[in-house]
Amino acid sequence: MSADQKTTIPMSTSVYTDDSKLIPLSDLVSLVSDGDAIAVGGGLSSREPMAALRELLRAGKKRLHVIGSAHGIDIDMLCGGNAVAATWESYVGFEQDFGMAPNFRRACEDGSVEVHDSCCYTMVQQLRAAIAGLPFMPIRSIRGTDMMKLHPEFKTMECPFTGQELVLVPALKPDVAIIHVQYGDEQGNLCIEGPPVADLLFAQASKKVIATVEKIVSTERLQELGGVSIPYFYVTALSEVPFGAHPTSCYPFYAYDRAHTNLYYTAAKAHDTFVESYLNRYVLDCRDHAEYLNRIGGPAATERLTQWSQGTSSWLELYKA
Amino acid sequence: MSSTCTFGEMMIFQIAKTIPDGALTFHGFGSPLVQLAMHVAKRTHAPHMVLIAGATYGVNPRPPFLTATTNDWTMDRGASSSLDIGELFDLAASGRLHRMFLSGLQIDKWGNCNVTGLGDSVIGLKLPGGGGGCNLSCDVGELTLWTAAHRCPPNKNGVRKFRIVEKCDFVTSLGHRLADGTPRTKLGHIGNGPQWLVTDLGVFDFDASGHLRLHALYPDTTVEDVMANTEFSPGISEQLSISDSPSQEVVDIIRQLDPMKVHEKELRPEDRQRSFEI
Repeated sequence: MSADQKTTIPMSTSVYTDDSKLIPLSDLVSLVSDGDAIAVGGGLSSREPMAALRELLRAGKKRLHVIGSAHGIDIDMLCGGNAVAATWESYVGFEQDFGMAPNFRRACEDGSVEVHDSCCYTMVQQLRAAIAGLPFMPIRSIRGTDMMKLHPEFKTMECPFTGQELVLVPALKPDVAIIHVQYGDEQGNLCIEGPPVADLLFAQASKKVIATVEKIVSTERLQELGGVSIPYFYVTALSEVPFGAHPTSCYPFYAYDRAHTNLYYTAAKAHDTFVESYLNRYVLDCRDHAEYLNRIGGPAATERLTQWSQGTSSWLELYKA
Repeated sequence: MSSTCTFGEMMIFQIAKTIPDGALTFHGFGSPLVQLAMHVAKRTHAPHMVLIAGATYGVNPRPPFLTATTNDWTMDRGASSSLDIGELFDLAASGRLHRMFLSGLQIDKWGNCNVTGLGDSVIGLKLPGGGGGCNLSCDVGELTLWTAAHRCPPNKNGVRKFRIVEKCDFVTSLGHRLADGTPRTKLGHIGNGPQWLVTDLGVFDFDASGHLRLHALYPDTTVEDVMANTEFSPGISEQLSISDSPSQEVVDIIRQLDPMKVHEKELRPEDRQRSFEI
């Protein structure tokens, strides 16, 4: 073993210790480089960092590799904006709500996005390897399925203890985790309320974490709100972006905007007119997030989504849109 | 006066019956028929099942109503605790997850499912992907498969696009045998594979060799329907029966939980018109 190998710590050593990491959204996305592997937080219709992704598209980021478990409009929009080179997601779609993700599907089929579909536990174990500073983790599952064909990098070995054949999945270390959470403090401590999906694993495994938060509060107030989910030293920088997950939900602040998602889906499905009818109008031609919020209908539109907490019937109404 | 149930309610009931009491049971996303079946089971014959909701990983939630989006606070209201993604899949890998539900745009004679892509190459027609289904098909004790699209009427050229196929173009989740006939038991997985397949035409089990076998029809389907709409010939159980219908209690639970009839999104328009006496 060379001296270099002895002294090299194989995984991330970066910790972020600045007292104040609050920066504008446009600066936040400058921490993402073309070609980066990004782990997008939240999932399906919940707490996806949509404002940050729209800003990424405005900044013209390209050739991104996307990593995640079960996603929807976030990855579909990045594909529609030609920002994705490869997918390592386990699902991208709109469930029984609208069905298949039109831009994602087209990009995979026409070859502009390389398909490396993953599956949840495989990804979890790959992230855990990165978190633990190990080169791989074993899994017993997936042998016998065609997932192996999509991943020539996976190896098999005989377990030295049991003789069982295992699959070794390599450490997966995203360049940047991009997440949206309810609360943060100036230093970058983050508090997630409700299901964390894979955000904690993403934060621990990634080289950088950039976060948008609904509300910046004091560190003391974070404790009252449920405590810190992601300690500050993982977090590279953050921005305060109210309605930053729209049109996905960020409870308790607001519910999922089904009407806007329907508008998005209809535009994406039409394909030829997607750029004109959606991407320009709601992303590229918006100066910033504030202009986006105006274009989706301003305070009347966003206020409507906060009504879920008024009771079951108000909540139910939102899904009939 | 006699009451009736819809086909959706019938199918939910058939899926619910595959859930034993006391089992740690999990559903994925995008599967309202299964979500409702789990809530029916929990509130009727399986009060001690551990109901883990997909996407939120909430334990024993009491949702006010079903939404078409699984990762929503509606779906984990009242949960006594919540797991995270790692913990849920660890439960499966260590043999504690007893039952899971999987589906596919193709389901083959051994119960392999494809939700990744159709065609000779994976990207011929890209499907959304299988979430954790690939891992769970290997690890979970027993699987219930389902599809509401077994029936495949011929197109104008007389060609049927089968959902229940001889062989999947891509195996996303594992059934009883590989395409070359190798049994899953050779692979040393801890899960036993598919136990049931519930479709719009009938309820199927798997014989000792792992091959799909018709177990029960609905009051309005026939063996001929099943044979015509399946790419291969499934076996037929010696105890072939007609499925029983759900009770009024079961129907009431479903209607209360799903006021928007989200589960009917999984059904073809024709199947939404079917009804059964209860």
